[in-house]
Amino acid sequence: MSLTTTTLRRLPRRLPLLSQRRTNTTAAADNLPAAEPPQAGGSIPTVAKSAFMRNTREQALRAPGITFADAAPGSAPSGNLVGGRETRKMNMYQAIRDAMSVCLATDDNAVVFGEDVAFGGVFRCTMGLAEEFGRERVFNTPLTEQGIAGFAIGLASMGHTAVAEMQFGDYIFPAFDQLVNEAAKFRYRSGGKFDVGGLTIRAPCMAVGHGGLYHSQSVEHFFMGAHGLKVVIPRSPIQAKGLLLAAIRDPNPVIFLEPKTLYRSAVEQVPIDDFTLPLSKAEILTPGSDVTVLTYGTPVYHCESAIHLLSSPPPSLAPHVPQVQGAQQKIRGASVELIDLRTIVPWDIETVVQSVEKTGRLVIVHEAGRQGGIGGEIAAEVQKRCFLKLKAPVKRVAGTDAPNGLQYEKFQLPDQVRILDAIVETLSY
Amino acid sequence: MAVVCKLRSIIPEVPNLSPPSMFRPTAFSTLRRGFATQLLPTSKSPISPSLSFFNSVTGDDTQIPTYRVLDGVGKPIEGAEIPEITRDFARKMYEKMCLLPQMDTILYNSQRQGKISFYMTSHGEEAAIVGSAAGLDFEDEALAQYREAGLLLWRDYPLDSIMAQCFGSHEDSAKGRQMPVHYGSKEYHFHTISSPLATQIPQAAGVAFALRRTPSRRDKSIAACYFGEGAASEGDFHAGMLLASTIPSPVLFIARNNGFAISTPAAEQYHGDGIASRGPGYGVDTIRVDGNDALAVLAATREARKRCLKGGRAVLMEVMTYRVGHHSTSDDSFAYRARSEVEDRKRIDNPIARFRLFLESQGWWNGEEEEELKTRLKTEVMKAFKKAESAPRPPLGEMFTDIYAGEMPWNLKEQKEELKQLLNKYKDYDGYKKELAKFTKKGEDVMQ
Repeated sequence: MSLTTTTLRRLPRRLPLLSQRRTNTTAAADNLPAAEPPQAGGSIPTVAKSAFMRNTREQALRAPGITFADAAPGSAPSGNLVGGRETRKMNMYQAIRDAMSVCLATDDNAVVFGEDVAFGGVFRCTMGLAEEFGRERVFNTPLTEQGIAGFAIGLASMGHTAVAEMQFGDYIFPAFDQLVNEAAKFRYRSGGKFDVGGLTIRAPCMAVGHGGLYHSQSVEHFFMGAHGLKVVIPRSPIQAKGLLLAAIRDPNPVIFLEPKTLYRSAVEQVPIDDFTLPLSKAEILTPGSDVTVLTYGTPVYHCESAIHLLSSPPPSLAPHVPQVQGAQQKIRGASVELIDLRTIVPWDIETVVQSVEKTGRLVIVHEAGRQGGIGGEIAAEVQKRCFLKLKAPVKRVAGTDAPNGLQYEKFQLPDQVRILDAIVETLSY
Repeated sequence: MAVVCKLRSIIPEVPNLSPPSMFRPTAFSTLRRGFATQLLPTSKSPISPSLSFFNSVTGDDTQIPTYRVLDGVGKPIEGAEIPEITRDFARKMYEKMCLLPQMDTILYNSQRQGKISFYMTSHGEEAAIVGSAAGLDFEDEALAQYREAGLLLWRDYPLDSIMAQCFGSHEDSAKGRQMPVHYGSKEYHFHTISSPLATQIPQAAGVAFALRRTPSRRDKSIAACYFGEGAASEGDFHAGMLLASTIPSPVLFIARNNGFAISTPAAEQYHGDGIASRGPGYGVDTIRVDGNDALAVLAATREARKRCLKGGRAVLMEVMTYRVGHHSTSDDSFAYRARSEVEDRKRIDNPIARFRLFLESQGWWNGEEEEELKTRLKTEVMKAFKKAESAPRPPLGEMFTDIYAGEMPWNLKEQKEELKQLLNKYKDYDGYKKELAKFTKKGEDVMQ
């Protein structure tokens, strides 16, 4: 019985990796340092062509909010100091690996650990780190999520930097007690005498095309009520490196959720220097004036596609996307403000409210189920603050309130058409 | 332990193998015939044709023995060695063993009078706690469950601080946020106690690993992790034992097996040979000790600590004792055990009396000193008690601090502001007025 259980549990864990390998034939690129990153792949082909990817050195070095660690304090905004800095084309797992390498190189008290991280990790995020920094700093743990979290809390409580990995967000629940009752409350309950600010938990999250119930989940909303924790989700390689380094250095415990379908498919130029991006700061990806679309993680790219479909729908969708609604309201020509929330807890209410006050309309998109999801919380705050400015009800495009059924993913999670429909409905309300 | 050693003496006949002790003689005879060369790829287990099950770590179906130094009247048992102990050290141990129930009784009664909200005594476990604390170094990082206040007393943690925590007064280092007996102090290397059971066990592995990675503390300090036999049923016990053995971390796990987890007797907690039998399964050096024998606990802790430092890995010590008091002030233990059983245990096997008889046999203690000590301790405890009793609570605004380091998030700022509006609006309502009066600054720090 126990043998069967173990076998069943281990096998599915490897599946996404193996299948992703199949989609990526340039396997040689798995070995770092890579001359060329692997080709983009994954379940969303649009990611590779996204306009949000920064494909040139110049664009990468001017990423909004970027702060280089070696920039002199009080010097000119780092966005202007691009001279002499280099970038390298990286996919998201390489950028995450790069962030951990920077962390280990700059902080002797930092260690990286989790299940299977020593050989490079099932998603390659820790490739070569054990060889570079030694097995005392990058090591495997037994297969116990509550143990990994507890061990990390103990390390962090001694002032060390613990970067721990949960192999999938789906398996973070055995550690829920350690994270919610212990890590989140550590500082508060000791009157600030003890803290676990050096704790960062990394976990792959969101759907991957064929992950079924336990390789697809979004878990961020479960931590929204865990006062004392921060939750961060990046959308791209630059974001992943900058936000992960910020999370590691933040004086609070942070859960860093990495959309696993973007590990290989999201590729851009990433500054090779040590840099951070600000936490609790949303990023406006496209400014607009008619409707705000708020999202984070993988659905950023579905939203991008949806906005594209809105302005130029193909013939099969055109009948559902009118040019105008009523006398003035433009639909196809609508100006959409797309926001990447990036930090889920504590979230950037200022940017969101400013945007909705301007547009009067809000569509929130996430993969997690609607009931109890982040969208409900944001919708409640927005309606409280923007009640008189709202021209339409806040719309939530979320996963259905069902487990992630293997064969139903296309119709369970937000895709570009569902998002398009929500935007059209909101604009024509 | 002795049985294990005897069986190991057979082993040299099989080269390069350490077969577990559970193999019976028939299995060993087959080993001698050469089956041992056929090893499995991931194990050093010798091959055996004998269809033989086992359910004991001692090899002969007996239970793991309990290490004892002193008998019931404080005399060394045959073959036992008295650990190195000076007169002053022994007297300090005795004093702290007496202080613990003094403090417990006063705080227990104060809860009964409604002066504090909750309390948990250590009655019956004085030797287990003070004895083990005395075997540790002051800088060893202690991670406790909740019934280990004796360790703080051993480290001379001020009674004022203990009382401040129980009363949640403005002098409480944790700002009155946790229930009574949830002590913590960085200076005294005592990690803040939390209510969820066993969570400190894997944390202790991380703490010990950090000690190993800190040059100034490597090979000097260990983590000492306390928990009850009930908590050892939690998954975190399994995790902690695994981690501290596979990722070398010098933790001394101290299981206080006092026979009960609230109302659940140990017999309903596990079916095996207590907690100690699990140690070898994790590859952890293990010992079972008579927890009512302060000298046995002291000697075992010292030796266990040495092993932690030398091997760099976990050691498990199961300390057998009996919970004489109720589980907590919210529990009446006579609902599930006979009063006579408790009274008998108090009389027959009292850890304080046993140690006192030892001191007297050494000429280190007498009746006069006993009288003087009891009076002095009572005065000291009452003094600290009175001081905390009349102290105000911390400022009300502390409700909102220390949740996050750095800037307070907008939602908390907003909620603090909401409370300010509310208090200013309803400050004349009796229910609020009375409550606000209990805080330092009477809530003004929030209201302004």
